[in-house]
Amino acid sequence: MNLPRLYHRLRLTARSLHSSANGQQVEKVAVAVDPDVPSQVSVFRTSENDPTCHTELHAGQYYTLPPAHMRTLFPHGLPPRFQMQMKTFNEACVMVRQPALELITCLRKADYSEPALRYVLYGEKGCGKTLSLCHVLHFCSTQGWLVLHIPDAHLWVKNCRELLPSSSRPGRFDQPIQALNWLKNFKTTNEHFLSKIKTTQRYVWTKRESTEEGRPLGELVDQGVSRVKSSSDVVGALLRELRLQAGGAAEGAFRLAVAVDGVNALWGKTTLKKEDKSEVLPEELTLIHNLRKMLRNDWCGGAILTTLSQTGSLFKPRSAYLPMELLGEEGFDNMDPFVPIPVSNYSDKEFESCYLYYLDRNWLQHPHSRTEDGKKELIFLSSRNPSILERLCAFL
Amino acid sequence: MVASIANLLKPWTPRLCAVRWSRYNPYYLEPETDKDVYKIPDTELSPEQKEEKELKTTRPIKAAATSITSSPFNDPVISKFINMMMQDGNKVLAREIMTQTLETIKRKQVEKYHRAPAAEKEAIECNPYTIFQQAIENCKPVIGLASIQKGGKNYQVPIPLKDSRRRFLAMKWMITECRENKHRRTHMYEKLSQELLSAFTNEGNVIKRKHDLHKMAEANRAYAHYRWW
Repeated sequence: MNLPRLYHRLRLTARSLHSSANGQQVEKVAVAVDPDVPSQVSVFRTSENDPTCHTELHAGQYYTLPPAHMRTLFPHGLPPRFQMQMKTFNEACVMVRQPALELITCLRKADYSEPALRYVLYGEKGCGKTLSLCHVLHFCSTQGWLVLHIPDAHLWVKNCRELLPSSSRPGRFDQPIQALNWLKNFKTTNEHFLSKIKTTQRYVWTKRESTEEGRPLGELVDQGVSRVKSSSDVVGALLRELRLQAGGAAEGAFRLAVAVDGVNALWGKTTLKKEDKSEVLPEELTLIHNLRKMLRNDWCGGAILTTLSQTGSLFKPRSAYLPMELLGEEGFDNMDPFVPIPVSNYSDKEFESCYLYYLDRNWLQHPHSRTEDGKKELIFLSSRNPSILERLCAFL
Repeated sequence: MVASIANLLKPWTPRLCAVRWSRYNPYYLEPETDKDVYKIPDTELSPEQKEEKELKTTRPIKAAATSITSSPFNDPVISKFINMMMQDGNKVLAREIMTQTLETIKRKQVEKYHRAPAAEKEAIECNPYTIFQQAIENCKPVIGLASIQKGGKNYQVPIPLKDSRRRFLAMKWMITECRENKHRRTHMYEKLSQELLSAFTNEGNVIKRKHDLHKMAEANRAYAHYRWW
């Protein structure tokens, strides 16, 4: 008698009896599990629009940003080509990608009683750093954080029409227009925080104007918006207040997310000139000086999310994308230690997802681009770079 | 004349470096850039195609121009339009304007498509290439005028036009209209996209110019017999 085989057959029959009795239950479980697990057929959209719930399962899929909150979330943060795409497709869809998911997991697990961690998103030109940052900022705002978003630091070091000597310090220069625009956008994003946070110090702007201690932050912002000459100093005061009060133990505590796109502008060169045609150094600009103080990790209760960008940078070659190349010696020493997060071109699955999204939105019109050969040609021409693919598909 | 015939009969020797020049020896044949032609197996070729293939083994072929590709994305009408728009040999700029025009047309149409109710979605044409082809087609004049001198006076005589001449006139009118009659500060791609979209629906200044030409030809019907070809 072959005992092991008999035993095995007994176990099989027992299992089959067991399964037929539970047949009904097994089917129900199968039906319940199916919608959560993505099927083998490529799915490019997900109905999960809350970034808090995004996981690896949603990697490569597009989620829709809620149109109701778009104006408050991103008055100034999205890239111009993405804004054009939003207008054309009548919706704002962002792809959930690995670097953003990694950053969100880090933010969830971080200890906020420790000094703020610095995260740097780096990668080649056009591979999705700015949009990954926007995805993470959406997550931060759904969690109720205060979002301090500087959409492009390069705009503060070039093309400035009015460069005023600073009213408070002798060696510095003010940029009233840029500071004003930023303050207005800050006000739109963080309305609900402005009345809760109070100032801790008395600020004197001119002989007749000052902001007393204990006044709401909204008053500080209004002061900057109405008196354009002192707007850069107001920005500095605002940053100082937020730095002191983030992550306190009080019941009105909030977490601060400082997001700077194009952080390499703070330590590069400027194209601005003083009246005697000598170059302005970045530290002589009030806005840049105050922002550098913000990026130091001497405050607790928040995170510093930054992106390197060659696109708007000055005097840097197009092929430079690594932190050492773009930040330079000084920048790297100031930003060190940071968590580097590489962003790469689309993987096969992500490219597939992007292609299907464009087909769905009726964007790929040329008959050849809808064939398999056309798809291979698109992969070859764009080498899976997101921005090159977008520009190619624009006229095909 | 004898020398040119002798030139044709002399044996062809290859040059050191091939050069694409418009004044090729007529002995040279045009290149075939379409990939699908080479995929047809020998058994399915028609007798003319077989003859052509035989000829190509013995005769030299002109070099292909740098602006054409073997990809199905290549469109000869679009290439011709780009060449006509080009100024001072700046092909890069002309091509950039063309791609921006196609993109603008597509954006406007796709935006309309997404905002339209489901019933009207079928009727909206989103393909910029079909819109461009149709617009040029709508702008082509059927009949043209030639200046013929008879008895010391010059008469505008209606004449039939070759297809290439019709296409040239349509494109030329489109480009001059956009360059001269639009607001100075708008970009060329913006002007072109507006004019192409209106020509697609048979409206706009270029269509008006075509109709004016037709009316002139109709008015000068009486002189049609002055044409001797």
